[in-house]
Amino acid sequence: MKLGNLLKKELKELLTVQALFSMVFTCLLLICMGQIMGSAMDEAMNNSTVNIINYDSSDFTDEMIKKLPDYGADPKIITAEPGADYSALMEENELDNLVVIPEGFGDKIVNGSESVSLDCISLINKSGMASTMSSISAASLTEAISDYVGNYIETEKIQLSEEEINLIKDPVIEVEYTASNGRTVQVTSDVLSSILMTQSLIAPMAVFFLILMASQMIMTAISTEKIDKTLETLLSAPVSRITVLVSKMIAALVVALLNAASMMIGFVFYVQGMTGSAIRAETAEAELEMGTSVTEAMAQLGMTLSAGNIVLFGLQLFLTIAIGLSLSLILGAMATDVKSVQTLTIPIMMLTMVPFFVTMFSDVNSLSPMFRTIMYIIPFTHTYTAMSNMMFGHMGLFWAGLAYQCVFFVVCMYLAVKVFTTDLLFTMNFSVDGGKKKKIGVK
Amino acid sequence: MSEILKVEGLSKVYKKGAKAVDEISFSVNEGEIFALIGPNGAGKTSTIRMISTLIKPTGGDAFVDGHSIVREPDKVRASITYLPDEAGAYKTMKGIDYLYFMAGLFTSDSAQAEEYVKRAVDMCGLGDRLEEKIGGYSRGMIRKLLLSRAVMTRPRLAILDEATSGLDVINALDIRKTIKRLSAEEGMSFLLSSHNMLEIEYVSDRVGIMAHGKLMVTGSIEELKSRYNAANLEEVFERVVMSDEVR
Repeated sequence: MKLGNLLKKELKELLTVQALFSMVFTCLLLICMGQIMGSAMDEAMNNSTVNIINYDSSDFTDEMIKKLPDYGADPKIITAEPGADYSALMEENELDNLVVIPEGFGDKIVNGSESVSLDCISLINKSGMASTMSSISAASLTEAISDYVGNYIETEKIQLSEEEINLIKDPVIEVEYTASNGRTVQVTSDVLSSILMTQSLIAPMAVFFLILMASQMIMTAISTEKIDKTLETLLSAPVSRITVLVSKMIAALVVALLNAASMMIGFVFYVQGMTGSAIRAETAEAELEMGTSVTEAMAQLGMTLSAGNIVLFGLQLFLTIAIGLSLSLILGAMATDVKSVQTLTIPIMMLTMVPFFVTMFSDVNSLSPMFRTIMYIIPFTHTYTAMSNMMFGHMGLFWAGLAYQCVFFVVCMYLAVKVFTTDLLFTMNFSVDGGKKKKIGVK
Repeated sequence: MSEILKVEGLSKVYKKGAKAVDEISFSVNEGEIFALIGPNGAGKTSTIRMISTLIKPTGGDAFVDGHSIVREPDKVRASITYLPDEAGAYKTMKGIDYLYFMAGLFTSDSAQAEEYVKRAVDMCGLGDRLEEKIGGYSRGMIRKLLLSRAVMTRPRLAILDEATSGLDVINALDIRKTIKRLSAEEGMSFLLSSHNMLEIEYVSDRVGIMAHGKLMVTGSIEELKSRYNAANLEEVFERVVMSDEVR
């Protein structure tokens, strides 16, 4: 009876409107994000055609191309002169993969007893999970060709030599190339995709933690001063409000940087521990095949960031945190108690979390126009996509994002200064009282 | 006697249209203890916040030591100290560190800051407890610390909102004595706000009674008692606040 009574009181205190709102909102958000990412992946899969350049005029190859749909691949035929610049061709025709059938391919299969080579080129022009789509599509085509050729050898050649028996097992050798930034290098795109995936996880994760930490810190700093009633004493001292504001922002930034650094060191080791060995093995194998290092291949493809790019990214990161801090200042100034602080952190968390997950799993540009617009309105999206944009030469997008963030920061900072230097600091209140009273108003 | 604070037609209207303070005028002389009293919502705290430069008036002005709260808020803040109602202190700081921190906001001269802190240490009577974190202080200890902080810089005007609220009799008496002593011995001026009529009667030289944002009457305790034929300030308060003019 007593337990029931106490339990009822505790539940009543915990299950407030903001707690229920938070639950429902998180649930809806996850459902919505799943839909966005799922549809983006489906669209990428559906739109991802497999493409063939056929330099072979044999009947075997013509017949094979006709029959490929039966083997799960429906390639689009691309015409190009021998020796064409595949990278440029792919960029021009918006192809993300290309399989080149060399001259004499059919004759070698029909008459020969050796494996035949196919050049498979995958275009990587985005990071994250979206970067793996091109190589998946190309692999499905080479697998279909391999199956067709193996089946042909098995059914058409009654008397099989020992070499031909071996040939059935592995009739086609893929020579993998990766195209990016207008260049083509002989390197498997799987390795590059894995590296890009890791990179696209670590950098945004650092950004994510940094924004969250800095925002929560400044929000706590402001709201605690208000709740503990130390703010009035502080602001009646002979010190300008801007000085108080700046000192709080710098302190939050420094502590957030320290926190994010320690967290990232741990996270990097965690990621290395989890996936490092697999990627290292794959990388070593790839390096052995092509006779050059993957790092060198990435540099040849222009998939590395220059010192200038890193400086620009640092600038953008600083701007991002400044936006987070100014937004949090405004929200923190509204807090009247601990519960309202918890509620007021939700908008910042959502603005940070949504673009983080969406950019991790899909390419923003492949989203529907409505979702793409929503994502680009969120200022933090531009930071998550910055490295990818710089790496793949989408500098227009990068500069537009940076400019938008500058404008957003100026507006937020103007509002934060306005709140901090006027009566709003004391009169603008957001309170949640046991789920019964919820208001934003003037005291 | 020179005026330390001169309030001229001060008004505050919040955005929702409520007139919190309605063209009030009064003055506080050097070395004087002036108390603003009134029922809840009378406009006392809004008035004090405006004089402390925390919020801006929507009409009129006030001058602290000749400096306008509208045009020269920085100079006003250098001349005043403000102790808000139920004010707290930074819980993670030691008492002594809090005093040094606040002294550092009033002066960049370390010798001067040292002198401020020494004065506060002598005045607060917290002794060795100043080496402990404020989080472990009782309400009375925090109030003593904050009061000593408010007067350590010898401000031209110390503004104290409910200086003794929530304190036990001994602590409250101690604070009242300190206020009277500083006024008498050091010529410090005080602007007080309180609901405690006994306290106001004990410490104040003059009183202003507010209701519905208006300053209804000002005068010394004796003047007011005589004018309203009252035995004490509480009766004066009742007669002013319940008068037809107010209702």
